[in-house]
Amino acid sequence: MLNTKSDLAKYSFTMEAAKYVRSLGLTLNDLASPAYIQILNRAEKRVEEAILYGIVSGTWHNDDIEILSFPASMILVKATGDSFLKRRYALAEAKRAYNLLKFEDKEKLIAIAMGTFNWRMRLLNVTIVPQIYDFALHFTDFLRNACVFHEDKWKLVNRVMIGGEIYLSREEAARLLQEEIQRHIQSKLESEGEVDLPFPIQQRAERLGHLLAKHKEEIRIEELPRGTTSVAFPPCIKHLYDVSLVGQHIPHIGRFALTSFLLNVGMSVDDVVKLFSSLSDFDEKMTRYQVEHIAGKRGSRTKYTSPNCDTLRTHGLCLGPDEICRGVRHPLTYYRRKLKTIKLGVGKIREQR
Amino acid sequence: MNKDEVDEFIRNKFAEYYRIQAPNIQPPSAIEKREFGFILFKERMMIRHKSFRNPVDLQQYLVLTVPSDIYFSAAYYERPEESMENKGWIGADLIFDIDADHIETRCKTEHDLWVCQSCGTLGKGRQPEFCPRCGSQKFEERSWLCETCLEAAKTETLKLIDILQSDFGFSADDISVYFSGHRGYHVHIENQIVQTLDQLARKEIVDYVMGTGLNPRLHGLDERGWKKAPIVVGPDLHDPGWRGRIARGVYDFLMNITPEQFENSPDLKRQAVDALIEHRDLILETWGKRGPWDVVKGLGIKTWEKVVAQAIKLQAANVDTVVTTDIHRLIRLPKTLHGKTGLKVTEISVKQLENFDPLSEAVAFNTGMLTVKVIEAHRFRIGNEVYGPYREQILELPTAAAMLLLCKKVANIVR
Repeated sequence: MLNTKSDLAKYSFTMEAAKYVRSLGLTLNDLASPAYIQILNRAEKRVEEAILYGIVSGTWHNDDIEILSFPASMILVKATGDSFLKRRYALAEAKRAYNLLKFEDKEKLIAIAMGTFNWRMRLLNVTIVPQIYDFALHFTDFLRNACVFHEDKWKLVNRVMIGGEIYLSREEAARLLQEEIQRHIQSKLESEGEVDLPFPIQQRAERLGHLLAKHKEEIRIEELPRGTTSVAFPPCIKHLYDVSLVGQHIPHIGRFALTSFLLNVGMSVDDVVKLFSSLSDFDEKMTRYQVEHIAGKRGSRTKYTSPNCDTLRTHGLCLGPDEICRGVRHPLTYYRRKLKTIKLGVGKIREQR
Repeated sequence: MNKDEVDEFIRNKFAEYYRIQAPNIQPPSAIEKREFGFILFKERMMIRHKSFRNPVDLQQYLVLTVPSDIYFSAAYYERPEESMENKGWIGADLIFDIDADHIETRCKTEHDLWVCQSCGTLGKGRQPEFCPRCGSQKFEERSWLCETCLEAAKTETLKLIDILQSDFGFSADDISVYFSGHRGYHVHIENQIVQTLDQLARKEIVDYVMGTGLNPRLHGLDERGWKKAPIVVGPDLHDPGWRGRIARGVYDFLMNITPEQFENSPDLKRQAVDALIEHRDLILETWGKRGPWDVVKGLGIKTWEKVVAQAIKLQAANVDTVVTTDIHRLIRLPKTLHGKTGLKVTEISVKQLENFDPLSEAVAFNTGMLTVKVIEAHRFRIGNEVYGPYREQILELPTAAAMLLLCKKVANIVR
């Protein structure tokens, strides 16, 4: 159980903390009054830290201020209406929680996992050389959170799983909780419902909006070039591309991988359709429909991203990694990286001349 | 009879079956949330997005329409009859498909045929990418209902069920096993706990049962001690999960491999093969005492990793990766007939799977005889009777055997 105020200050996203805050019966106007200025100050600081450093600090002086500043900062972030900030703030709070949780008592960690997030989890004290395991977690709760990780050790097949339970170290449990906390905060931030905010709160939200705008400019978002160059394709895509150029058969999942990849690196629908025209079962109308579907111009209007390395491996499309593959988990990342090295190479040649 | 007349004949037989059996056809749970799909005899196309409010509506539909194949969605929807985008996905059962098509059996090259749809060229085994004569890519596959292939599929299913029970912790009550009516088995897991898993999570489950992406170093295979002369350690036969499976797989691999197979195993170096053959008995005997990973000098971790890779193949359950990861998949409805065999989709309890005989227990047409002209048929068995091989013969056969040949399009009705 989380039973001290210090616990609630550490983990203000928990059910217990929310209950405590509700019990105080504070209104938005209370929050905006000078008496509570320290809470708003800390709330603004939390968001500021998220924008500037991507993590909320884990040190504070007053438990009550810390506890109340969390819902207050949620109000501020929501008020900016910026989805980029919502994501960044949720991540920053989750990272803070991870740093605290990895050194936390096992009992408290499990209380958060089970109480706030309904994880099916139990305490454990088992050593399977060389690893000490502190928790057993139901595999569905594990999968919901571990799917985004790409290190070998997070793949289900590389875990110790007995009777549906995955064995975890405390650090691993904290890392999985980080994902859950991030989603939890983000979904709260994205939930519907607008309220009229008192002026002092509005003012702070605007200030944060400006800070964000300034910071956003610093983030250089790499745009992919307009022309597509097959030299930078990863081996799996290159193979599918070459095979379709000479009109050989490609399985359905391969066609999807190739099409979605090409569309994502900026190839036009026409060019993709043309590429498939050498296949012997080519039916232009059908192919165009399917390519447009993947491009998000038809049907559900979803533009599909090409499958990641993991998925390609599952379906037997990965040809085995090369040097660049080892550092990436998505064919599109490979493409961007390789392109960069090619560009650097070209630059060097130019310099030499 | 021409092709259409044969189809009509089969359809009448199917109609007879559904007239009597329809009330026994158990619809899936939450029938009103499932999508149904049918293949019709005449049109040979899939009708999708059908839904039924209750079992009786479904049963009446089957009697009236007599489809050649009947499917329902593993998924639950708010509005199953709407188009895909508007269905409102609620969740889906976890399903696995084990099909002989995905398993390499030696006999395949003997009994599976492909026919080029453009020029009619025939070939054995798996269909090629291109027709060697005309270059076309459209083939009709004619796979045979072979006992070896069915046994291979059953073995994979048994491996899968072991993984689902001991590793994933599902109980026998959660797991339903069905013979597909043709060359494989379907495994359904209907438990709320898995229904909302997304595609990514299901992909991880597929990778688990197939051993895809398995890193043996995360399962206890390791080097200890002095760097220049490290000691190899590894998992034990009784370890849980993949650890134990790796150990048991290595054991089986070394136990059963012939020197010729060793020669053919890729990646293994000559020296390593020699050492493994020479010390095989020592490795197997010392297992669990002081062996096996470090009893033979010269067998380093790299070699063991390659042996483990073979072991994983032996222990993994070979399932169709696409079926499990597809959260909108349609799958055959139990007790309905398979259009390619006339056999019925048959439920088998987990306990009885090992002794299940699809060629007796999935027979739907148990009475009467039919006279057919067989064009060409490999040897096959129905019940206790073995038939064939036949070539250009007119025969009187029990209905089930004749229906199999008719459905397989290798026989015609003699009036």
